[in-house]
Amino acid sequence: MEDLSLHILDIVENSLRANAKHIEIKLIQDEKKDRLTLEIIDDGEGMSEETRKQSLNPFFTTREGKKIGLGLSFLAQSAEEAGGKLEIESMKGKGTKVTAEFTLSHIDRKPIGNIEETVRCLKATHPDVCFDFESLNN
Amino acid sequence: MKLKDITGRLNLDIKAGQNALEADVTGGYVGDLLSDVLANAKKGNVWITLHTHLNIIAVASSKEISGIIIVNGRVPEQETLKKAEDEGIPILVTKMSAYNVVCRLHELGVN
Repeated sequence: MEDLSLHILDIVENSLRANAKHIEIKLIQDEKKDRLTLEIIDDGEGMSEETRKQSLNPFFTTREGKKIGLGLSFLAQSAEEAGGKLEIESMKGKGTKVTAEFTLSHIDRKPIGNIEETVRCLKATHPDVCFDFESLNN
Repeated sequence: MKLKDITGRLNLDIKAGQNALEADVTGGYVGDLLSDVLANAKKGNVWITLHTHLNIIAVASSKEISGIIIVNGRVPEQETLKKAEDEGIPILVTKMSAYNVVCRLHELGVN
């Protein structure tokens, strides 16, 4: 993925497949801590603990007929390459929160890209879903 | 050309997939942006990259890549090698740069 906005499209696709109706995207830039944090929070079906543990394995997917699931594993790799990490919290029936952290100044950190445009596209193509985007600078 | 011929001519270090070196190489692709490789690499290509993450095996498996050449002396993670073995995807390591590997492949007629 060339930038974070493309990663967001991939992760949101998981939320949509989990029948989320409210998807929150938060981008927090903290220059003092040299940290960039991306959070994607949905109210979808959530995952069992077993599925959550497998979700970063690129050879694991919940999609029928597919062998490979790359969305989360690509984002995890991007975070790790920029001195960060990816964490997933999920509760069956409640939803999922994906948190990707990056070192803000890391030379290999992917650019943010045009998230506003990404969110506009998502809203236009999924009018039945509520998307919230917030960008914070600490 | 077979992957085992390339391995010999370029003196590549075989880290996984020894049993799959008879694969015919249809051409080459060089790239470190995995989404680009997914979009543009062709079945049977040998892929030249500096990545060592497990994700490269998923990409190679998905695109039916004949083998992966990892450059700049980078050593793949154990998890990557194990999955490469399971998937039958050769992992070949070299101290050469991607540029030099591509030049050598071109000399061998792999385009």
